[in-house]
Amino acid sequence: MKKILCMMLALVMMACMVACGGAQGDNNDDVIKIGGIGPLTGSYANYGTSVRNGAKIAVDEINAAGGIDGKQIELLFEDSQADPESAVSAYGKLMDDGMDVSLGGVFSGETASITAAAVADDVLLLTPSGSADKAIEGNDKAFRVCFYDSYQGAAAANYIKDNEMATEVGVLYESDYDYSVGLYEAFVAECEKLDLSIVETQTFTTTTATDFSTQIDALVASGVKLVFMPIYAEEASTFLTQAKGKFASDVYFFGADGLDGILGKVEQDPSIADNVLMLTPFAADSEEANVKAFVEAYKKAYNATPDQFAADGYDAIYIIKAAIEAAGSTSGEELAKTMTTLEYTGVTGTMTWGADGNTVKNASAILYKDGVGSLFVK
Amino acid sequence: MLHFIQTLISGLSLGSIYALIALGYTMVYGIAKMLNFAHGDVIMIGAYAGIVTVMSLGLPPVIAIILSIVICAVLGMLIEFLAYKPLRSAPSLSVLITAIGVSYFLQNIALLIFGSQQRAYPTIADFPTYNIGGIQIDGITILTLAVTAVIMIALTLFINKTKLGKAMRAVSEDKAAASLMGISVNRTITMTFAIGSALAAFASIFYGMTYVYIKPTTGAMPGIKAFTAAVFGGIGSIPGAMLGGILLGLIEQFSKTYISTLWADAIVFGVLVVVLVVKPTGLLGKQMSEKV
Repeated sequence: MKKILCMMLALVMMACMVACGGAQGDNNDDVIKIGGIGPLTGSYANYGTSVRNGAKIAVDEINAAGGIDGKQIELLFEDSQADPESAVSAYGKLMDDGMDVSLGGVFSGETASITAAAVADDVLLLTPSGSADKAIEGNDKAFRVCFYDSYQGAAAANYIKDNEMATEVGVLYESDYDYSVGLYEAFVAECEKLDLSIVETQTFTTTTATDFSTQIDALVASGVKLVFMPIYAEEASTFLTQAKGKFASDVYFFGADGLDGILGKVEQDPSIADNVLMLTPFAADSEEANVKAFVEAYKKAYNATPDQFAADGYDAIYIIKAAIEAAGSTSGEELAKTMTTLEYTGVTGTMTWGADGNTVKNASAILYKDGVGSLFVK
Repeated sequence: MLHFIQTLISGLSLGSIYALIALGYTMVYGIAKMLNFAHGDVIMIGAYAGIVTVMSLGLPPVIAIILSIVICAVLGMLIEFLAYKPLRSAPSLSVLITAIGVSYFLQNIALLIFGSQQRAYPTIADFPTYNIGGIQIDGITILTLAVTAVIMIALTLFINKTKLGKAMRAVSEDKAAASLMGISVNRTITMTFAIGSALAAFASIFYGMTYVYIKPTTGAMPGIKAFTAAVFGGIGSIPGAMLGGILLGLIEQFSKTYISTLWADAIVFGVLVVVLVVKPTGLLGKQMSEKV
């Protein structure tokens, strides 16, 4: 009896091994697998969904046109709920699924944890939107499509100065979020150089993001004509809802990519987002032919206007395509070498990359009015 | 000076919300002698009830108010029946842990049903913002203060003048003696929870109108702050809850304005520690000596 049991166990084990081998054998080279990680559920779901939708459009377009060097692309996307820990396990899952190129994480925190986890792997990492300076540090195969925070903070100050929007500004930032603090510090440093004076600085934290009355009172009392707020759309919508009617009608609220998707958060009264200006390399109402084509395809597929995160996702896929075609391989090392020599013009502008993985591109600003965002013209 | 008055008003606004929540806390504690940590989450459920009736079902706001009150009261009785009643003779620590469990249970139920994205509370009525000499006062702030004061007075009268109130006081003093006097202890405690949770519905309406956005974790922080306010004013004392809530709101907003937004919470809880060291029963709490 025991012998039979042993035999059966051995058989089961063999079957398992064969099955495993079979699964790995599936990893054929006719498909290029690109893996993304980001929040598809939870408070920040809008960012992850946008990136995935934008990337999906690029993938469909490329596949319809014959793929990359004849190979089709498969887009894998894992939900992380914006949690860096989940992102690491999602990365492991994607590697098991045979990912060739990684889109990093949608958020900086996720990207940073994947960047570290991927150091030893021969995989190119191109985050569409992880903007914190440190998010791609320490991995020479990591790059990004978006601005990086310190550049973004400085660009905001320059934009305000160049367009003569204000000489005295107020600031509201979230003091326990790297993204917000990073932009704030870069903004302050640049303001000193540009002779812009910050007359009122107000802060809040994740736990105090429900009541903004003291911050609003202080900012209103300071009489500033522009409030720089490098915060996320959810907190911004709470702040703006409570601030409605308290600021003078010519006061601007100036934010960066974190404000993307704000209209979706104030659906009950879109006029809450009036006078919000968002610094972005992407404007959906641009007259550029490639942007028009992308916006049209996105509207057709999702019945929504693409935001900057969608544009970042879209560009990321095309940049990967360009890099693979130039390198003739999907090896992370080869692709990383190619990235620094590549110049690509996408819907978010013309980009080149330094060895640090950062890219510099022009910024414009979108102004919201009555629930519609359009390119800000002085 | 203008800034000072503006801070005073925002402090009163926040404080009156705390006071409204603290009234529910203190009433349940005063009578059932237990801390209902799920009180904040009942408020959250009440707020979602308002959102669903107006936004999803398209019913008028008046129905939303009535429905929130009914749902909260029934939920309060249900929680009491399922979670606390079986533990009536258990040590108070067991009940406390159960209350924390109920709190997380409600939060996660809301997370499952409504998702973690914030949702906007419907506009129940339009309140004007008054501008008096450069000072801005929201109509809703005045209304919240007034309603909190009315509820405080009504509650005090109810407990002191009505038969059911008398029964509640008796149960609070001595459960065994009260039941010997022909008072149904279980029914009295159930009623206490129903009234306490109906107060949570009021809090949810005013919270929703003031702060608009509701999330499954919405009740947690105000719940803890209001509990602090109830202890600050003397837990079990109804005027104490009102006083504690308003003082807490004022301390919080003044520290935010004049010291630092980062330090506000530390200062609020620091003041609580100081008050409890000096006067362990809270500002208006009575020392109840155990008769042997």
